[in-house]
Amino acid sequence: MKLIGKQCKAEMLRMIRNPYYVFWSLAMPILFYFIFTRVVSTGSGDKGEWQAHYLMSMTSFSVMGSAIMTLGIRLVQERTKGWGTFMKLTPLPGPVYFFGQMFGQSVMHLFSILCIFTAGYLINGVSLTLGEWLLCGLWLLAGSLPFLAVGTLVGAMKRVDTASGVSNAIYMILAVAGGMWMPLEILPTTMQRIGRWLPSYNYGSGAWNIAGGHAPEWRNVLILLGYLILFMVVSTYIRKKQETV
Amino acid sequence: MDTVIEAQDVFKSFRDKQAVNGVSFSIAKGSVTAMLGPNGAGKTTMLSMMLGLLEPTQGSVTVFGRSPRDQAVRERTGAMLQEVSVMERLKAREILSLVRSYYPHPLDYGQLVQAAALGASDLNRYADKLSVGQKRSLGFALAIAGNPDLLFLDEPTVGLDIGARQRFWDTVRDLAARGKTILFATHYLQEAEDMADRILLFDRGTLAADGTPDEIKAGIVKRSVSFRSLLDAASVRLRLSAYPAIGECLLSEGRFHAAAHNTDEALAAIFASGIPAQDIRIDQGRLDDAFRELIMDHKEAM
Repeated sequence: MKLIGKQCKAEMLRMIRNPYYVFWSLAMPILFYFIFTRVVSTGSGDKGEWQAHYLMSMTSFSVMGSAIMTLGIRLVQERTKGWGTFMKLTPLPGPVYFFGQMFGQSVMHLFSILCIFTAGYLINGVSLTLGEWLLCGLWLLAGSLPFLAVGTLVGAMKRVDTASGVSNAIYMILAVAGGMWMPLEILPTTMQRIGRWLPSYNYGSGAWNIAGGHAPEWRNVLILLGYLILFMVVSTYIRKKQETV
Repeated sequence: MDTVIEAQDVFKSFRDKQAVNGVSFSIAKGSVTAMLGPNGAGKTTMLSMMLGLLEPTQGSVTVFGRSPRDQAVRERTGAMLQEVSVMERLKAREILSLVRSYYPHPLDYGQLVQAAALGASDLNRYADKLSVGQKRSLGFALAIAGNPDLLFLDEPTVGLDIGARQRFWDTVRDLAARGKTILFATHYLQEAEDMADRILLFDRGTLAADGTPDEIKAGIVKRSVSFRSLLDAASVRLRLSAYPAIGECLLSEGRFHAAAHNTDEALAAIFASGIPAQDIRIDQGRLDDAFRELIMDHKEAM
């Protein structure tokens, strides 16, 4: 237990000291949020509803990004630079190490959620009930699991350059096609149809629903669960295959 | 004598290359053993198998009588790999205390810091910002953090300056004196000669020689007796040719170099031959030369 605690503490320290994280996962989404709710007029009907909706978009955008990119690139770095090898030589059980990594990621996600929610409140005075804030936060935290699994997939790549390029592309495509940058409704119908099946849309959709005063649809939950299982199976298969070589 | 490591008829092949080719040895508790050999001789592959990072294709490797991957083995083993890598964005001090916490009976933090030869300000710096030498010191400290009974060191002094190297080996000697078993890979021959009580000489995936530094030297080092003489080369050679203790005799820069397996007998032969020899020197030969010769032989053979 003490071991897990120490491992988690170390992981947290590493997160907070990462300047890329602070910039890409906090500064960028908040800046976007500011631009698309204050500077650029989107001409949508209900201003308050749009501000809450877009706050959820940007928060899910931020959390999805750190789950895919930060985790993926980090895994590749550890393997190529030899730290992963060193960890294998220590008596620390592999699962504890993995748990520590996931814990660090989740703390980072929680921190992002808190920061961006606060920014939404400060910039536009977005007001949700306490229950809605909490549920949104929980949804975003739990819904990040499939993206962490994508992160482990990215982490199976050989070079840091490839991993960062590929994960960046996946991230951006998922964000745009999933309606995180602009609502899915303004995209062409074909795009909309594809978008509804993407994990990013279903992730955002749950938070949009909660912020709009509804419950997330079952469809969202099931699709995210399906992706989680799929990515975990693929990732485990790839790892097994790499180990036998 | 307790055996710590047992390698039996180990083979390891990669897709296109036979890296280790039928190697057997056992390492006794409390010994300091050097694995010596040119690059690509199979030292690191052998080490990786003893660390449980690779599985032998054939044969077996056990450490403390168990699989190297066993949790109980990991708790008693420390390793410093060729490439010391550290976690990013953690301070040296934080990494040390984190890794210490992985072991049931870690080394005292104060002792550890002393062994790492890192100052208070270095300990407070981010580990990935340390210099190459300091990183290696940190890597060494991490290797001994768990107070291991068995220590693996893969080319541990690469990138260290002379002072740091000296300090490093002093610490290793200290550990050996406390009964730790130490196995290190190196291609610095002097280190193997000075530090180890046994040398495993690796060559193209096989064990070319196994013995104390003296035995290895006796087997492959050329000794010679050299002297100056007013006599010409032809008559010196003629007079010495009667004595089997003396091999080939070469003249270079005014000195005669007479090859000999036993330099005592060679000296006796020179005096007995009546050659007016002056300024006689005995050259015991160095492992360096012998080693270079061994590698050169192979290059020529290839």
